[in-house]
Amino acid sequence: MPEIRVPPPYRGPTQGLATVEVQGSTVRECIAAVEARHPGFAAQVFDSGGQLHGYVTLFVNGEEIGRDAVDSAVGAGDVVEILAAIAGG
Amino acid sequence: MAGPSGDRLIRVDMTDQSVEIVPLPDEWKLLGGRGLSAKILLKECDPACDALGPDNVLVMAPGVLAGTSAPTSGRISIGAKSPLTNGIKEANAGGNPGQDLNKLGYRAIIVTGKPRDASKTFGLDVTAEGASVVENSGARGLWNYALIDYLAQSYSDKASFISIGPAGEMQLKGASVACTDQEARRPARHAARGGLGAVMGSKGLKYVSIEAGKAKARQPANRKEFAELSKRYTKDYLAGPLMFKWGTSSVTGVANMLNTFPYKNRTAGQSPDVETLDGKNIVESFETRGGGMHNCLTGCIVQCSNIVHDAEGNYKTSALEFETITLLGANCAIASWEDVADLDRLCDELGLDTIETGAAIAIYMDSGGMEFGDADGAKNLLKEIAEGTELGKAIGNGADAIGKRTKHHRVPTVRGQALPAWDPRPLKATGLTYAAGPMGGDHTAGLIVNPGLPQEEWVRKSQEIQMVNAVCDSSGFCQFVQPTLDDIRSFYSALYGEEVSREQIADQAWQILADEWEFNRRAGFTKDDPMPDCIKKDPIGPANMVWDVPQELVSQVYERLESSEELFITKAAG
Repeated sequence: MPEIRVPPPYRGPTQGLATVEVQGSTVRECIAAVEARHPGFAAQVFDSGGQLHGYVTLFVNGEEIGRDAVDSAVGAGDVVEILAAIAGG
Repeated sequence: MAGPSGDRLIRVDMTDQSVEIVPLPDEWKLLGGRGLSAKILLKECDPACDALGPDNVLVMAPGVLAGTSAPTSGRISIGAKSPLTNGIKEANAGGNPGQDLNKLGYRAIIVTGKPRDASKTFGLDVTAEGASVVENSGARGLWNYALIDYLAQSYSDKASFISIGPAGEMQLKGASVACTDQEARRPARHAARGGLGAVMGSKGLKYVSIEAGKAKARQPANRKEFAELSKRYTKDYLAGPLMFKWGTSSVTGVANMLNTFPYKNRTAGQSPDVETLDGKNIVESFETRGGGMHNCLTGCIVQCSNIVHDAEGNYKTSALEFETITLLGANCAIASWEDVADLDRLCDELGLDTIETGAAIAIYMDSGGMEFGDADGAKNLLKEIAEGTELGKAIGNGADAIGKRTKHHRVPTVRGQALPAWDPRPLKATGLTYAAGPMGGDHTAGLIVNPGLPQEEWVRKSQEIQMVNAVCDSSGFCQFVQPTLDDIRSFYSALYGEEVSREQIADQAWQILADEWEFNRRAGFTKDDPMPDCIKKDPIGPANMVWDVPQELVSQVYERLESSEELFITKAAG
């Protein structure tokens, strides 16, 4: 199953879980699967129109995916990572 | 090779403007920045003194690694008893003064006393030959950018400067200390929190000039090992996600999502203006207006600082960051990032902490003194500070001062210092840093943005990040290059050719906090929860979050936990 890695700022809905293994054949489906288990998660990633929030960057197996590549395929063993830049400044 | 040796301290007594240069005690060689400042203050400053009186001690200390080839390692700490909190304070800044001082072998400038004639204005000139105090009446009253232009006529084009603006000269408690960046030497890097600019002003010191001349980078004992560490660290960082490539201004969206983008004096955690305040607007402006990202200090690999131009393509301000956008923007319901850029420039010119000033203006708005969202009114308030009006001085003296003047009930400060953007109501572990940490309401002391963190981990996480950040701010590394304790001790080991163990670095980290807590204890601080009522009672977010952390947890932060593996691999975060 693909694995979603959740950065600390996004762990509210997952009650602190840093990784979630889900069923899904695309990145979008995986995030929907996390949402089904942890309501409130998807809204942190997508806006109301289903587009990635401007501040979200996604990586699959360490490679950044484009903002229009959210429906690209993932499979067993793939790792989807959400990047959240957090700093004071 | 033994590594850097013969390092010195510059002692300045402003009572008679005398200067003495003395050796750095050998037992302090692994202390710099915040750690060195804390050690000196605990030893030499009476915690019960008047923060604006002659007995306060102002320390300017580069980090241990400043002036070496370690990437992004040239930062400087300014420390003293804070006139805002009346406790110990350290504020950290970039720019070039830190590495210039260290290249000359000066590990700290320690300023005591107060001129007998308050009408005189002085500078301190630092060169390879020594240091001397000079009277410079022409510098008096100059705003920071005009000051640097004025000084540039008398010093080399390589000199770097530390300065205060009129706010510091007026000894206003929100006053910052500015450092010039590399390239154009803009006075845009501020050691902002805690009113240390007022301390510098109380000593009649308007600026410090540092002429590093042809001073070379500091040479480590194990040159090959140090070079390999620097190369590997740089390669790994640049191959990573480069989180700060567009600076912190683009954090606004995530912060808003987490209900920590305070709006209208923290009465809400989300702002309707998040789109117009988003840092992406600044990035988009580069294409048509010029400006762009740059590094504020020589040798920085992060390049998180922005140079912002106006619609005509002229320079407006630099380092327009998340905290400024929040406190001077969202918190005041000022919707336009361009107005916030104007306010940022004014704060840099006058030498003011944008967090404290933004909080003060929002309190004034909330009290009915001005409409929320009145950007021109906010700019006029800053101009009133320069004019020295009673209202201006109250704003310049910070959130508590304007709160008292207006008798307003909602004053979100901790121990007299305005809370930063990262709100303790959704971020409870960060709140523990504010409540128990020696720096009070200062996110750079230890930021944890993890709303899902179980309560049983809050104390450990707050303590660990405080320890990591304390050592980071002693090392000269910028928090944004995210070093761990293991990283820092590796560099220290190669610098002096002596192994620094995990135990040693952890002990150093704890000792810095312990020194600062002891100073505060002697200054009269208790371990009671200092969170203000409005943060305990005013809910924010759909979950109606308030600060409701048990006092027991606050107390536990003061008790050292056994070091975990996490402590050594946690990245600095502020």
